[in-house]
Amino acid sequence: MQAYCAKRLPAGKPEDYHWDWQQKAGWWRPLLGYHSFALLCRNELQGMMLVSDFNSARLQEHFGKPIVYVVFLATAPWNRPEFQKPTRYRGVGSMMIRAAVELSFDLGFRGRIALHSLPAAELFYRDNCKMTELGADAAHQDLMYFEMTSNQAETFRQRP
Amino acid sequence: MKLKYSKEWCAKRIDLEGESEVGAGYLPAATENAEKDKVTFVDTRIALGAFVSLWRRNQGWDAARLAEKAGLEPQEILEIEHDPHCEPEPETVRKLAKVFGLPAKPLLELAGLTEPQTAALREEAVRFAARSESVAELNKHEREAFEAFVTAIARSVGRKK
Repeated sequence: MQAYCAKRLPAGKPEDYHWDWQQKAGWWRPLLGYHSFALLCRNELQGMMLVSDFNSARLQEHFGKPIVYVVFLATAPWNRPEFQKPTRYRGVGSMMIRAAVELSFDLGFRGRIALHSLPAAELFYRDNCKMTELGADAAHQDLMYFEMTSNQAETFRQRP
Repeated sequence: MKLKYSKEWCAKRIDLEGESEVGAGYLPAATENAEKDKVTFVDTRIALGAFVSLWRRNQGWDAARLAEKAGLEPQEILEIEHDPHCEPEPETVRKLAKVFGLPAKPLLELAGLTEPQTAALREEAVRFAARSESVAELNKHEREAFEAFVTAIARSVGRKK
């Protein structure tokens, strides 16, 4: 991603410009509590996501219950309008969030998921995925923390 | 796990998502160490709260009885059990550790009152919290999680990350 961004947008870097996916995959691959997802289309990487399955929910209605936590999620730069118009593909975020929800159901967590949104993506998680916003998390760079309840997860997978 | 989405679902979600930004994770200001530092104080405080709750239930005590034994207010016990954003006083944690018969250091670490010494303890704490449910009596699953966590706390003393 860094090489692609450097060619096209040397001044304005995206919020996840610093992520080194190869290094990330290397760190987490051997750990049992992490699951990584890659979305491929025509043999090309369109997005990646890393989730963990040992965190606890913070929202009062399911406080302390196990939850799938999205550690990182990003789309490829050629799917972002600031780099390329028109973008090659859309919907990568939804496909990934659905994968996290399905994993949560698969693990018996009833679809509960959580994440810290990058600032530019808050609208997507709040209005598009209809997740519950729990406010800025001082322990996590003041990024907005979101959770999806079981009911919200059911709605997300059933009624787009 | 096999993922299968209907065409209709995909088409509608793609329309809805449009060209939205969807990134989640960390901002560049975070160091790679912060990325490795996967467990936040909120997570470990949830574990501490679950531990306190399970410990007293294992004894058949209510919050008032534990508060009395530790020389604390019942409200302090309830805050530790239910509010992960609450930062307890170090003395409060030490008093609880004394009642539990456990070393204070790892409990202070879980409360976010000392620098993390043992990455393994923090990982163990989050796994423990994830396995704990708030029900009246400890079930077999909870008891196993509880006992494993007590062992992890005891072993963590003197172990460096």
